[in-house]
Amino acid sequence: MIQLIHVSKYYDRRAALSDITLEIEKGEFVLLMGPSGAGKSTLLRLLIGEEQPDEGQIFVQGRNVTKLKQSEVPYLRRKVGSVFQDFRLLPKKSVFENVALPLIVQGASTSDIRRKVTEALRAVGVDLKKDQPPSSLSTGERQRVCIARAIVNGPIVLLADEPTGNLDQERTVEIIELFKLINARGTTVIVATHDPLVMRQVNRRVVTLMQGTMAPEPRLGERVGV
Amino acid sequence: MRRLFYPVREAWGNMRTNRTTTVVAILTTAFTLACVGIFLLLYVNLRNAAGWLQQDIKIMVYLEDRITREGAQELEGKLKSDRMVAGALFISKEQALGEFRAQFPSDSHLLEGLGENPLPASFVVTLAPSFRSPEAVTRWAERVRTMAGVAKVDYNQEWIDALAGLIRYIELAAIGVGVILSAAAVTIIGNTIRLALFSRREEIEILRLIGATRAFIQIPYFLEGAVLGAFGSALSLGILKFGFELFRQQIGSAGRFKGIENMVSFFPLSICLAFVFVGMGLGFAGSVVSLRRFGEGRA
Repeated sequence: MIQLIHVSKYYDRRAALSDITLEIEKGEFVLLMGPSGAGKSTLLRLLIGEEQPDEGQIFVQGRNVTKLKQSEVPYLRRKVGSVFQDFRLLPKKSVFENVALPLIVQGASTSDIRRKVTEALRAVGVDLKKDQPPSSLSTGERQRVCIARAIVNGPIVLLADEPTGNLDQERTVEIIELFKLINARGTTVIVATHDPLVMRQVNRRVVTLMQGTMAPEPRLGERVGV
Repeated sequence: MRRLFYPVREAWGNMRTNRTTTVVAILTTAFTLACVGIFLLLYVNLRNAAGWLQQDIKIMVYLEDRITREGAQELEGKLKSDRMVAGALFISKEQALGEFRAQFPSDSHLLEGLGENPLPASFVVTLAPSFRSPEAVTRWAERVRTMAGVAKVDYNQEWIDALAGLIRYIELAAIGVGVILSAAAVTIIGNTIRLALFSRREEIEILRLIGATRAFIQIPYFLEGAVLGAFGSALSLGILKFGFELFRQQIGSAGRFKGIENMVSFFPLSICLAFVFVGMGLGFAGSVVSLRRFGEGRA
């Protein structure tokens, strides 16, 4: 499903990622752990073709992301939903319009947009606020809208970069439960976080990054909270 | 359908959101294009005037004194059958003398002492409109000069050359000013689009991340640039028309130039439409420049 083979990425000769080899199966839920600056966000950016590695190969669903033409990158991103710490919702558009954006971009019909957006908003529990602007929502609700936007077109992978960074403990648990639900429906989920609460809550495969290098993965019994 | 309307809605929404910037861009574009328009208007009218003046160019083909009546008729036939000739009027020696006396009554006594009429018979030739360029006139005159019975071919070469030279200079000035001010219009619209891009950089970033193609992101800005250019050029035509009518009114009331107001004319519809399309094109070019600088080249 996702393969990184000896991937390295440098910024001003400093290695943000160094010789990363990683394989993620379809339907997996992977936590990308590590402190700030460990290379988690860089790895996620490489997966959606926002940046190119300096060394190594990256495959997403059999396609070599490092060999994609610029014009092919948008089509990769349509298969990969992204959730951000700062939500990145458009303040002048309603919740419905924000969630509809990926479908509009793909040229979906009006009826399809209405149906899929309603389904996505219902799945994350903010369907009653579809006509409101994001500014009128709580931070937890905004993150739910961001998740709805990421899943509305049925992506094969969901990437989340510090999705609970702005949330309190209660909202963090809710959001993680939502990710678990999405994963249970067959979507591969990769969450980058430095929050131990998320790790305890998820209790799945953990990939730890330390200063751009990958720590050996703990065996199942060694995971925190197990 | 939503996908088709999205760029239009976004472009319109952006112009409404940034009303002041939009209005300032349209006004500055309008005044800049109006400056180009002044030169264009001057050029078009001078060309028209040159056309009328060249229509009035008469070429005098003077005949030799010893030419017979048959010879003159033969020459008339040759001239009239020439595809470059629109008309040829025969002036006999007697008619020439009569005209001289009518035009210069106080000097007519000068000819009386000579006994014989010294004025030659001639043809007053008008060339067809497509052969009135200075080069064509010269070529034709040289050819006719060699015909049997022709003593001299006379026309105002210097005057024709001067007129053609003046038109060429105005043409060059119009092109120069047009290029410089068009670049200014592109810059003005380009800056407006850059402001729009800057204010919406977050939205553009989000669109990129959710899989929008470059075209999808760029089209609203291309549309906005084209609309600004079209509105700017349409407004500049309004300004020009207003100024033109004012000029015509003023010149009509000034006794010295009376009559000129009927000779000058505003752009025909085709040039007006072309002007608006050029404005659209400049606006589009402004968007292209801004989007390139903004770095929308990346995926």
